Amino acid sequence: MNTQEALKIASLLVEEWVWTTETERPEPNRLDVKLTKLDDFIPIVVGLRVQRLGYLSAITGLDLGPEVGELEVLYHFCTAAAVVTLRLRVPRDNPSVPSLCSIIPSAEPFERELREMFGVDVDKHPNPIHIYLPDDWPVDTYPLRKDFEQGTVSTAVRRGVKHDGKENNG
Amino acid sequence: MGSTTIMNNIPNLVALLIFPAGLFLLLCGLFYEWADRKLLAQLQNRIGPRWFQPLADIIKLLAKEEVIPDGVNPTLFIGLPIIALAGGLTAALYVPIVGLLPSYGLPGDLIITIYLLSLLTLCLGLAGSNTLDRFSLVGATRTLTQLFSYEAPFMLALLGPAFVARSWQISVITTFTNNRWLILSQPLGFLVAVIALMGKLELPPFDAPEAETEIVAGALTEYSGRGLALFRLGKGVALVIGLTLIASFYLGGVTNPFLFFVKTLTLLLVVVALQALLTRLRIDQTVGLWWRYGTLLVLAQWLVTIVWHGVAT
Amino acid sequence: MMEKKIMDETFTVPIGPQHPALKEPSHFRITVDGEIVTNAVVRLGYAHRGIEKAVEGRNWIQNLYMLERICGICSHIHATAYCLGVEQLAGVEVPPRAQAIRVLTAELERIHSHFLWVGVAAHEAGFDTLFMYIWRDRETVMDLLETLSGNRVNYSVNILGGVKFDINEEQADAIRKGLDYLEERTNHYLDVVSNDAMFLQRTSGIGVMTRNQAEVLGTVGPTARASNVARDVRVEAPYGAYFDYPANIVLEERGDLTARFVVRIKELFESYRLIRLILDTLPSGDLETRMPRRIKEGETVCRVEAPRGELFYFIKSNGTDMPERIKIRTPTICNMTSVVKLVIGHQLADVPMILVGIDPCFSCNDRMVILDRSDGYKQQWTWEALRQHGIDYYHEQHS
Repeated sequence: MNTQEALKIASLLVEEWVWTTETERPEPNRLDVKLTKLDDFIPIVVGLRVQRLGYLSAITGLDLGPEVGELEVLYHFCTAAAVVTLRLRVPRDNPSVPSLCSIIPSAEPFERELREMFGVDVDKHPNPIHIYLPDDWPVDTYPLRKDFEQGTVSTAVRRGVKHDGKENNG
Repeated sequence: MGSTTIMNNIPNLVALLIFPAGLFLLLCGLFYEWADRKLLAQLQNRIGPRWFQPLADIIKLLAKEEVIPDGVNPTLFIGLPIIALAGGLTAALYVPIVGLLPSYGLPGDLIITIYLLSLLTLCLGLAGSNTLDRFSLVGATRTLTQLFSYEAPFMLALLGPAFVARSWQISVITTFTNNRWLILSQPLGFLVAVIALMGKLELPPFDAPEAETEIVAGALTEYSGRGLALFRLGKGVALVIGLTLIASFYLGGVTNPFLFFVKTLTLLLVVVALQALLTRLRIDQTVGLWWRYGTLLVLAQWLVTIVWHGVAT
Repeated sequence: MMEKKIMDETFTVPIGPQHPALKEPSHFRITVDGEIVTNAVVRLGYAHRGIEKAVEGRNWIQNLYMLERICGICSHIHATAYCLGVEQLAGVEVPPRAQAIRVLTAELERIHSHFLWVGVAAHEAGFDTLFMYIWRDRETVMDLLETLSGNRVNYSVNILGGVKFDINEEQADAIRKGLDYLEERTNHYLDVVSNDAMFLQRTSGIGVMTRNQAEVLGTVGPTARASNVARDVRVEAPYGAYFDYPANIVLEERGDLTARFVVRIKELFESYRLIRLILDTLPSGDLETRMPRRIKEGETVCRVEAPRGELFYFIKSNGTDMPERIKIRTPTICNMTSVVKLVIGHQLADVPMILVGIDPCFSCNDRMVILDRSDGYKQQWTWEALRQHGIDYYHEQHS
């Protein structure tokens, strides 16, 4: 499938169907899809997968800052040169997105990363443990959020949070 | 009375502690280990260690603290390396080291020697199972599995020359094989013997029991300091004895030091070339190789030898 | 871990974070029943440096050097992906000669990376002779990179808006000569990995991944191409000079370890062809264009083909001289899922081979947050503190 075909199929799928989306073409090879309803997300991904556009290249988390109060989660699907990006907006204080693992198994590490770096709860994730950060990383501390300051997490604090000062050797 | 016993036993003590077993054999083992490493390095386009490197390693290891891990039986942990090395050194007394006649001999000492050599592998396996470390346990399982696969072909291959010499005493066999190149009449037996020796010493491609990329150092993972040094010395000794046995049985005998060194080193070169050429076998492939091909080959060799002798006499 | 003797039929063999099979830290818990693997779990993050956070606090130019240091093997491709993205955001057109030199360096880097991989994989299989020989020959391409850039790793070829150095005829000849030698050797190695019976015992039919599995597990790069999945960014979505010098895709059908060897070695021939073509028809002109210090607001996605597969950069600018967010998705993380699924049912002895089969690069993977457990203050070090520590340390050493 070439780039233009892929973009055409993807825009047909997301624009001319029952769900409510706003689409944009920021660059010739990119299709940006803003989802206004979280419920539409899984069906659209299934649709992309059925159309063989479901190679999930990456999941990007974006913190729009405490002022806006929202996080954005970007799912990049690549086919040839075409990049279809699904954008989800979730509230900053209680963010949650559904897991894609049942549709796309390779989403697992990406979702684990999103979870620990941005604190986005991934609903029904099969293996919701840390991937990069240590097991005794303090809860509610998400390093890639804009209000995380480097150097604010001390080892002593981290150890105290979950293990009552005991070091975790597991 | 006491002093005469001591006087009478001095040659025995010398034989045990200095020459041909004991100190001399340990140094000889280190030299062969160096030759093995150096030749392998040359074949692999590397420089390789300097001549005193194995000795330096052993001295360093002997000087280091021996860490006894939690959960092991300390007696076994300390005792096993000693038994392994003692087994190797004792075996040397029945073998024509440096082309001299064996220090001791009795009918059937070939069997004793083969079992004394197996003691090393057995101790390795036990040492691995003695610790709680997973790498050691997997390594020990593999060591013992490998023992059961090469041991029968190795023994059968060494019994081939014994059969034609009509004796199970090493000194009788060596007298018989002097200037008789059994490699010509029993080529399959020779091949199996050399490859089984590589399996015995866990040299590549039979180094699955200590495959560093899978299980670190296998059965010896928890060993440091003296225990490791003794095991390494034991392996060096086993290498020398194995090479001596094969050279004296198959390569026309080793009746003087010159022949001894030429023949064993040539044999070592063959072993090294095989190490450089072959990829490590998985343990299941090793077992398959020995039971499917090794044993059958050596049995075929036996059959041919027996039939030939039946026809000739 | 070792308090009580495990009496179960199955037990867990930990591989890593420190293990001779892995030259980089990662942790696998392999559950085995005898020699057969029944489960595998991966844990990453032992080489975290917090790069994604750190780039948000540095300007566009500083970040180029930071990102180049994500990985010691594919350093150039990280910098290239970043440069292409930032140039696209800024709307700057890079001169064709600079683009060609970027691709030339990228292909040299691919050669060095694939040689390195074949060596490491041969070592994992217990075939040290191949390992030693191939690493000796790898020195040829390392020397070529050194003659070009002055560095063996972190070549620092890219600057925003162009490249740092030119190639003269003398260097071009040196490269051609080096490639002739490498090509001859590569033919030999292709013969070895596809015909050596003992080696095939360890690779043929091991870790087989069908085309469907490879697609569903989201594999990229040579790992995917060994399973006949036509996924190569250079071909699918050409970037930079790949428009003028199109690459051909190399595919294998079998999907086992042998296929992964063959694909990578055959890709070397493709790299030799591209480099020769570029050297013969190098466009003339400038090496760089002017870049603005502040980059226009916007977002872009940049995908390039690293030696290990697709490298994905998402760059968002907020109109200042520092990026708002840079997301890096390295090929290894895509392929890691396939390892964890593939090893089940294999022998323990095959685990290192299958893991190495994807050419994992953990320093690429782990790049997010600085952690320092061993420092005396039990306090995390900031970049400044670490930098100051380095300066003080060397000051003391020299005084």
